[in-house]
Amino acid sequence: MDELALSVRNLSTVYDTGESVVHAVRDVSFDLRRTERLGVVGESGSGKSALALSILGLIEPPGRVVEGEIVLGGRDISKLSDRQLGAVRGKEIALVLQDPSSALDPVKTIGSQIVEALTVHEPDLRRAAARRRAAELLREVDISQAERRLDDYPHQYSGGMRQRVAIAIAIANNPRVLIADEPTTALDVTTQAQVLALLDRLVDEHRTAVILITHNLGIVSDFCDSVAVMYAGRFVETSGVDHIFVAPTHPYSEALLKCVPNPERLAEGPLPAISGFPPDLSQLPSGCSFAPRCPVGRDLPQCHEQAPVPHRVSGPAGEASVECHFAEQRIREVAV
Amino acid sequence: MGRVIAMRVLGSVGAVFGATVLAFMIMRVLPGNPARLILGPLATSQAVTALNHHIGLDQPLYTQYWRYISDFFQGNWGYSYSDGASVRKLIGERAPATIELALFSFVITMLAAVGLALLSTYRHRPITDRIVRGASYLGFGTPPFFLALLLLIVFFSTLHILPGPEGRLGVQAAAPAAVTRMYTIDALLAGELGTFWEALKHLILPGLALGISSFSFLVRLLRANLLEVSREPFITVARGKGLRRWTAFRRHALPNAFLPTLTAGGLVLGEFLAGSVLIERVFNWPGVGSLVFDAIVKQDYAIVQTFILLSAVMFVLVNLAVDLLYAVIDPRVRIPTVATA
Repeated sequence: MDELALSVRNLSTVYDTGESVVHAVRDVSFDLRRTERLGVVGESGSGKSALALSILGLIEPPGRVVEGEIVLGGRDISKLSDRQLGAVRGKEIALVLQDPSSALDPVKTIGSQIVEALTVHEPDLRRAAARRRAAELLREVDISQAERRLDDYPHQYSGGMRQRVAIAIAIANNPRVLIADEPTTALDVTTQAQVLALLDRLVDEHRTAVILITHNLGIVSDFCDSVAVMYAGRFVETSGVDHIFVAPTHPYSEALLKCVPNPERLAEGPLPAISGFPPDLSQLPSGCSFAPRCPVGRDLPQCHEQAPVPHRVSGPAGEASVECHFAEQRIREVAV
Repeated sequence: MGRVIAMRVLGSVGAVFGATVLAFMIMRVLPGNPARLILGPLATSQAVTALNHHIGLDQPLYTQYWRYISDFFQGNWGYSYSDGASVRKLIGERAPATIELALFSFVITMLAAVGLALLSTYRHRPITDRIVRGASYLGFGTPPFFLALLLLIVFFSTLHILPGPEGRLGVQAAAPAAVTRMYTIDALLAGELGTFWEALKHLILPGLALGISSFSFLVRLLRANLLEVSREPFITVARGKGLRRWTAFRRHALPNAFLPTLTAGGLVLGEFLAGSVLIERVFNWPGVGSLVFDAIVKQDYAIVQTFILLSAVMFVLVNLAVDLLYAVIDPRVRIPTVATA
């Protein structure tokens, strides 16, 4: 049995603007084993980034985490003060953001921004030693002439290189868990593949557990071991990575999968879109939040009135936890 | 970077050239013949022609323009009609008072703007933020001379805690030994703390009145910059490294937010140096502004013209200095982007 790297229980985050309360993350629970790679997929505005920031304790007002436990390496970090969390962030759990052009401070050198990630956890580290380590990190993310390029500024780096620097900063202290929030979305396709391959190699070498937030199911199938489909702030389907591609059980997961372009589907005409819009997270329906758009439950009173609980189902490609009244019925249909 | 500096200097030279041409042309376009004005309506046309020739007004325009700017840059600014002294001497005598007031006002304005902008943006403080924004609107909408009178009524007439409109020092106080001729600095140099305090007290009200509208402008600008920068992903990244909130803010938000403020600061300082005419008048401040005010009343053109052109040149120079400073401290200006794969 693998030890748990991270365990999240009943995490809920709201943004309270005074006029409305937006429920960005709603009662999310999951476990992340050591070296596990969890993909979190969902549309824009489904709460994926809020989840990442909530785990790191970086939700800024008017947002706040209202409930939940975040157990990292056996310790609940959700009740820690900002100062105590400072010792955890970057050291045990690190973050890579989407847009490499804004993830680095434009008026500080690359070197100083990497060095900062080291010295904040090792105040006694000498300048020269920190610089050597920073150069090593740059080499580790495949940046040539690392020594010289430490003194460059972010605008002298290309987008792909900046994202490599962001990764170097994240792995600087060899964290237990890495949260990557759409790490390749802002990059062009070739660079995407390179950055993903780099991330793959590094987390493998360092035995880091990863939460990869993305809306790209292709990346999930390449990179992840398990997957959580997020809709309106909730994990509506959680499973091993094979299950979601073989037997997507939640109607939303199925719809999401149908939107992935692939050569075989080209013959079937244009890509389908999921009709309707994601719900307003400040005015959630009382039943299932997908019900208004759901091909299965759109017209069923049960779906509009009663919020589904997670159902454990077992399909042809492993087990899954699905928040749908019809989970058992649907998995049987898929399994046939 | 050499290229950047060359472009900025060239731009400034262009701006000064434009200002001189404009000032020169306005004087030529205005109705009336200066020689006729000087000689009076009874003078013969021969006398007018002779004087026109004597002062060079029969020369082609470009010759006149050349004489005009070469005189200006050599410091030959003509003579005051009203008291016969050279304009250069008159302005030179008054300049330290104006510069002292402008610098003092600049320092308190910048400090107040930075302080309040920080207070209203660092951490989520909706009420403080609302107060700061309200105050800045009030400052925007209040004419400085009106505020000057208000300040005098409150702090001088009613509370008696600050001196009234009596210039740079009280009647009993003697000016300190002249070094810079800025009284606060000279008093400190001479070790006369009493005089320093006296000079400082006289600076407070005019300094506040002069600074108020620029303060409102700066605080709004800074607040917007800080809010924008503190939402940047690199702040989240810095916090994600384990930096404390204030450390991340100080190291990464402040430098980025202050860069654009530098430009605004240059504009404000230029404005303070050139634009204190009414405030100096209200406080009987013996600076260039008062001199110009009197000159306007007496139609003393030599002084007014010189002041206008000097203001333009100074404004351009201050902004050039800011641009150059920018090129030195902002790596994005200093170091060109190299296309790298």
